[in-house]
Amino acid sequence: MTAARPPALDARLEITVGAGDRAFHVEAELILTEGVLVLFGPSGVGKTLTLQALAGLLGGVRGHLRIAGETLLDSARGVLVPAHARRVGYVPQQHALFPFLDVAGNVAFGLPRPARRGGGVAALLDELGLAALASARPTSLSGGERQRVALARALAIEPRLLLLDEPFASIDQAGRGALRRVLREVIDRRGVPAVLVTHDADEAIALGDRLVRFARGKTHVAGEPRALLGRGDHVLVTGEAAGPADPLGEGRARVRLRDAVVEGPEEALRGDRIALELMASPPRGERGEG
Amino acid sequence: MEADPIFPILLSLRVALIALAFVAPAGIALAFVQARRRYPLRGLVDALVLLPLVLPPSVVGFVLVLIFGRGGPLGALLEAALGVRIVFTPVAAVIASAVVALPILVKTAQPALEAVPPELEDVARTLGLSPRAVFFRVTLPVAWRGVLAATVLGFARALGEFGATLMFAGNIPGRTNTMPLEIFAASQAGDDRRAALYVAVLSALSIAVVLVAARLSPRPLAP
Repeated sequence: MTAARPPALDARLEITVGAGDRAFHVEAELILTEGVLVLFGPSGVGKTLTLQALAGLLGGVRGHLRIAGETLLDSARGVLVPAHARRVGYVPQQHALFPFLDVAGNVAFGLPRPARRGGGVAALLDELGLAALASARPTSLSGGERQRVALARALAIEPRLLLLDEPFASIDQAGRGALRRVLREVIDRRGVPAVLVTHDADEAIALGDRLVRFARGKTHVAGEPRALLGRGDHVLVTGEAAGPADPLGEGRARVRLRDAVVEGPEEALRGDRIALELMASPPRGERGEG
Repeated sequence: MEADPIFPILLSLRVALIALAFVAPAGIALAFVQARRRYPLRGLVDALVLLPLVLPPSVVGFVLVLIFGRGGPLGALLEAALGVRIVFTPVAAVIASAVVALPILVKTAQPALEAVPPELEDVARTLGLSPRAVFFRVTLPVAWRGVLAATVLGFARALGEFGATLMFAGNIPGRTNTMPLEIFAASQAGDDRRAALYVAVLSALSIAVVLVAARLSPRPLAP
C-alpha cells in the first residue's frame, strides 16, 4: 500500500430519500484519479441526488466520501463534514442565481466580505467573458450567460471539487460548443476535479475523462466515455422517454423518445428514416481504451 | 376622573410594538422551521400555532390567567423568584397581544418563506454559508416582502386585541386601558364621542396596515 497520490474523488454513497413505498434508493460508487467524471444515464435514476450528496446537501447519506484523501463523510466512523465546510463548488441545473444581486454580486457571494470587491472577482468575470455584464441582473441574462455566472460563482471559492448538473440543458445548440470549450478550459487551468451529470452522449464524450453509467438508482459500469458510449459496431441511443413504454407481449416493450440521439456505424444511419436493430450486449468492462 | 385621552393611544402602540418585538422574531423563525423542516410533530405544532386564532379570545384570556395567575405555574414561579406579578399589568397586555398575533404572523410568513427556491439555499450552503447566514443572506432577501407583510399584519392584530386583554390585563385607567378596551368602556358609559375618537384612530391605523400589506403582497419571483 504505497499509493503515491490519493484519487481526486473516492466515494461510495448510499442515499435514501422519501419514506415508505415512495422511498427512492441510490447506490453510487465513484472513483476519479483526475479530470472530469461523467455521471451518465436517463432522467430519474439518481444522478442529481448523487451530486447533492457529494455537496453535503442531503441528510442520512451512508458510505464514505474522500476528496484528495481528505474524508468528508464516513458514516461508519461518524464523520460528516457539513455542506458549508466542504468547499465543493455546485452548479445546479437551474443555475439558482440570487435574484436580488447583480452578476458580480452573485460571483462574489461565497467570498469573505473584504475579498468581494477584490480583483479576484473581476479576473473571474474576465475569464468567463462576463466583464461587460458585471452589473446586470440575472433576469436579463440568457441561459448560457446564467450558466457561466453560476460556474464563476462556484469557482470563486476555489473549490476542491466541482459539481455540474446538466450544464448544457438550458442552452441552445449554438451556445453549447462555446460553453463546452470554456468549461474544459477553466477545469484544465485549475486542475480541479469535476463531476458532471448528463444524459447526452456527445457531452459525455467531449468532456469526460471517465464515465459512470447510472440505471435505476445504481451505478453500473465505469470506464472511458468513448469506449462505453459506442464506437465501431456498437450502437447507442439516448433520449428522454416521451411517455411510458407500451408492452408488446413476450416481455418486450416499445417506447418513444423525444430529442433522441443515435450514435452508431455510419452506414446504419444514412437516410431520413432510421430503424435500428439493437442487440443486447453485456456491459463492457473496465477501460476498453485503445 | 377625567383621563388623559392620549394615554390609551400611546399605550396601545407601545403594547403592540413591544409584543411585536418578541413575537416577530419567534414567529418568523417558527414559520421558517415549518416551511423547511419535516419532523414528526410538525402537524401538531401547526395546529397549536393556529389555536389562538380559532379559540374565542375569552378562552385565550382565561388560559393566560391560569398560567400566569398567582396559582398558576409560571405566575407562582415569577412571584416567588422575582416578586413580579403579571396579571392586570401592562405586561399582561403585551403577552395577550403577542399570543393572538402569533398565528397570523406565522401563517402569513410561512408561504412567503416556502416560496423561496430551496436550490438558492442549497447553493449558498455549498458556498460556505452557515444555516444562520443562509437565512439572513438568501432566504430573507428573497422573502422580505412577505415577511414584512406578516409583521405588519401581526402588528395590526396586536393593536386590536380586546378579549384576552380584558380578562388577563383588566381595564385599569392609566395602566392597561388600551384603545379597544377604552372603546368598550366609553360605549358602555354612553360616552360616544370618546369611543368615536379611538374608533377613528384604530380604523385609520388598520386601513394603513391593510394598504401596506397589500403593496407588499408577494410578486412572482424571476428565475
